[in-house]
Order: sequence, then structure tokens, then C-alpha cells
Amino acid sequence: MNKIIMDDSMVGNTAVSALAISNLDFWYGTNHALKNISLDFPLRQVTGMIGPSGCGKSTLLRVLNRMYDLYPGQRATGQVLFDGRNILSPGVDVNVLRSRIGMVFQKPTPFPMSIYDNIAFGVHLHERISRADLDQRVESVLRRVALWNEVKDRLNTSAAALSGGQQQRLCIARTIATRPEVILLDEPTSALDPISTARIEELLDELKQEFSIAIVTHNLQQAARCADRVAFFYMGELVEVDTADRMFTAPQAKRTQDYITGRFG
Amino acid sequence: MSVQKTSPAVGDGWQRGGAQAVRRRVVERLVSVLCYVATMVVLFLLFSILWTLVVRGGAGLSLSTFIHSTAAPGSGGGLANAIMGSCEQTGLAALIGTPVGMMIGIYLSEFDQDGRIVSLVRFVSDMLLSVPSILVGLFIYLIVVEPAGHFSGMAGTLALAVLFVPIVVRTTEDMLRLVPRAMREAAYALGAPGWRVILSICLRSARGGIMTGVLLALARISGETAPLLFTSLGNLNWSTSLNEPMASLPVTIYQYAGSAYDDWVRLAWTGALLITVAVLATNIVARWWLTRNGSAQQ
Repeated sequence: MNKIIMDDSMVGNTAVSALAISNLDFWYGTNHALKNISLDFPLRQVTGMIGPSGCGKSTLLRVLNRMYDLYPGQRATGQVLFDGRNILSPGVDVNVLRSRIGMVFQKPTPFPMSIYDNIAFGVHLHERISRADLDQRVESVLRRVALWNEVKDRLNTSAAALSGGQQQRLCIARTIATRPEVILLDEPTSALDPISTARIEELLDELKQEFSIAIVTHNLQQAARCADRVAFFYMGELVEVDTADRMFTAPQAKRTQDYITGRFG
Repeated sequence: MSVQKTSPAVGDGWQRGGAQAVRRRVVERLVSVLCYVATMVVLFLLFSILWTLVVRGGAGLSLSTFIHSTAAPGSGGGLANAIMGSCEQTGLAALIGTPVGMMIGIYLSEFDQDGRIVSLVRFVSDMLLSVPSILVGLFIYLIVVEPAGHFSGMAGTLALAVLFVPIVVRTTEDMLRLVPRAMREAAYALGAPGWRVILSICLRSARGGIMTGVLLALARISGETAPLLFTSLGNLNWSTSLNEPMASLPVTIYQYAGSAYDDWVRLAWTGALLITVAVLATNIVARWWLTRNGSAQQ
């Protein structure tokens, strides 16, 4: 990365940001959904985003890969710095951007094709790659998400036949196969059983060695377990951001305290 | 009912509702019986039609039906030219109508959702779905047959294609709308451009339903008579040229069934049986395809 943004709010010493948001506002038509957000996502750390439904945390995630572009009437102003450029500026190639900032959704969304092709689809979009290299890429990402042993004998069967947890790991594999730098996860375990959830959480720990991760979750325990830093959103505002430890033991703001102790939400 | 305050006997609770409950049970039974009778009447009609077709059409069915063209009464003709003409015209109509209908359906579902053109196209397409097919025949007569000065297989094909397209438009649009938004977003999130998302993800996901629509449209046009009367007219001889009048099963049935010759009437029954079997088979394949594909997506 060319440009390094220092973030002195970090505990410990300084850290490098993967993404730096400053003064971000977002509108759904006339609905002002995000208000003057400034937030850094440290490199190769997990940043958790929590808050009651409708607080804007998922909206923020969808700004970071310009997913909102798909819908007329949604617009963002402000700055999101990624690799030296403001990704909100019109000149940014959103397809390249989305290959560098991947996203995993709440519900597993396997494409209607084989397990192998689910991964090859994204790779083919951005690279000319030989069959042998592609085979290798497929194997390595499937190993990475601990799915290889379960599916290696049926790579050419439909991905729809996998269980929900397997499908979600496939979706993560598909995302990392395009070699992004940042991974956005929008409540990735809310449709999964506890065992599948635990496996995905373990996976996050492993993935942050290489990727910077932003995860939206409704599950406070999950945020406490997985995230290095946690941001609390309320009514479109960023109320507080701190390390996970401090956030859940000594929150500064009253609203944070009320939320994490279950007084609302 | 007594007003005395005695403790109710065990089982009295079941009397709750009184006459009203009895009436409810009677009405329920009555409606069930009516539904059952209605179903049986329709099933009986359907099977008696099928049975008549099999008995009367089957009687005239032989190898010569398939290898001889229509001939003068009493000279042992078959239906080869009509079968060939029907296959050619419906097949070509499907070849033209499927891509055109799919492209319009894609446009309606994927582009310019609230635009004026979209609502206009959707309106026209829905109108075409219910337009009497004889009007389509007259329309093609005016724009193709009259300028050319003669009836032709091509005109028949075009008339069938006009009937074919709106069915495919409707199913394509409906099936594409069923593709979950999350699946589209997941493809966009990998950095796929819009056209790749539509072609590789949405169409692939909707292909079972679209295929079913195509087969149903095929079943629909293969029985159409009216649009062919003014366009391909019919042909007594074997002809595969699209530039000449062309025979077809429905038109042959129409002409033969009303004739005074026993062997022509018998051939009309056989033709009717052939169309029915073909349409039935197409419908069964379409349903099988849909259920197979539908269950594969879960």
C-alpha cells in the first residue's frame, strides 16, 4: 500500500489501516442512514460492528464495496480511503474494487453450479489462469476454509447439495479465491447452527493472518470472541469504538453500556 | 336448558355450539362433496376425450400414416406431409421465439425497472398473451402473405412465433424475478459486471423455469389452427419449402374432420391423437423438468 494512515486511537502502538473512513454520510433516498462516520479498519485485524437492527452497521459494510451502487437513490458522501484512493469517487472501477474488497453475506448464496465452478467463477472474472493453476487455487482456498476433505471427491457436484455451514464456508472460499485484501462479513453466522458458527469463528482467526476483516454481527459474544476492535452504532451514528476487551468490560458511552447489558436492542 | 345450578355431567362440554356447530359440520360436508363431484366431472370429461381419441384415432394409425402424404379420398393417403409441416413450423417458430422472448424477458426483469418503455412492453406482451389467435393469423396475412402474393410456410412460422414469444417473455421475466437478490449481490460482490451476473448467475438459476415456459409455449402453438389458415394454408403434397404453402396437422384435421369421406375422417382422428400425445408428452416433460430443477435448488 502506498499510503499509510496512522491511527493513534489504537491501543498498543500505531497500526496501519486497511480502510479509513472519514466524515461518511449515507442516504437511502431522503433517509439519512449514516451520519458523519469516521472509523479506521486496522490492517489484518478483525473489526466487529454491533448495534441494534437498523442502526446502519450493514449499510456501512455495503458502502465499503460500493454495493449501494446497484440501487438508484442510494448515495454516499465523504471519504473512504483504500490503497491511496477515495473509493467513493466516481473514477473507481467498482468491479476491481469488489475483487479487492470481498463480501460474505448473511445467508449462504451458492451459485447454481458445481462446487468447483463456484470458486472458478470469481477467479475467471479477474485473471487469465491455466487449468492447473486454477485447480491448485481451488484446492488451496478449500483447504483454507477447512472444506477440502469434505468435498474433494465431489467438486463437480452441485454446491446446493452442501449443508448450510458448508455452503457458507464455500462462499468464504469463493471470496478469498479472488485474492482480496479486505473481507466484509455481514452477519455470516446468523443462519447457521452453533457448530458451524464455531467453525466460521475459528476460520476468522486464521484468515486475519492475511486479510483485514470487517464483521457485522448481532451476536455480542461473537463480537467479543472474534473481534480485535469493536464499533458500536446507534441510529446511524458511530457511538464508540474500542478494543473488544475494553468495549465489553468498560464501555465509555452510556448508550453502549445500555446496549451490551441488554437494556435495549 | 335448565337454569338450575347443578354441576354439569362429564361430557356435556362437547355440546358447546349447539345447532350452529351442527350446521357448520353439514356445510363442511356439503362443500367437500361438491368439490369432489366437480373434480370427478372434469376428470371424466378429460378421460372420455382421451379414450375417444385413442379408440378412434388409434384405429387409423399405421405405418402408412407416417410415410404417405395426404391423398384423394379412397387412395390410402397418410399424414406425412402434415406431420412434417407441423414439426417444421412449430420447430422454427420455437427457434425464433425462444431467443426473442428470452431477450425481452431479460430486458423487462433486469433493465430500467420503472421506465416507461418497460411498462409499455410488458403491457403489449400481456395483451398478446390473450389476443385471439385468428387475429395473429390475419395480421401475418396482411404483412407477409398479401405483399408476397402467396401463402407460405414462413408466414405460418411467423404467426406461430408471434404466439410463442409472449409466453416465453412472461415465464422468463417471472423466473428471473424469483432469483434471490442475495444471489445477484453475491455475484456483484465478486466483481462481476452486470452482463455476467445476468448470463452466468441469473439465467442459469432460472433456466429450469424458462425451459418449462418454452415447452409449454411449444405445446400451446402445436395445436393452433386459426393462425395457420391465413398463412401457410395447407398443402396436399409433401413440401418442406418455407416459400410454399405448407401442410400442418391442425389444418388437416380441420379440413378432413368436416369432409364426407370415411377415410379422411379417420385420418383426422389419427391426426388429433398424434397432436394430443405430442402435447401431453411435452407437458409431462416440462413438469418433470420443473420438479427436478426445483428440488435441485433447495
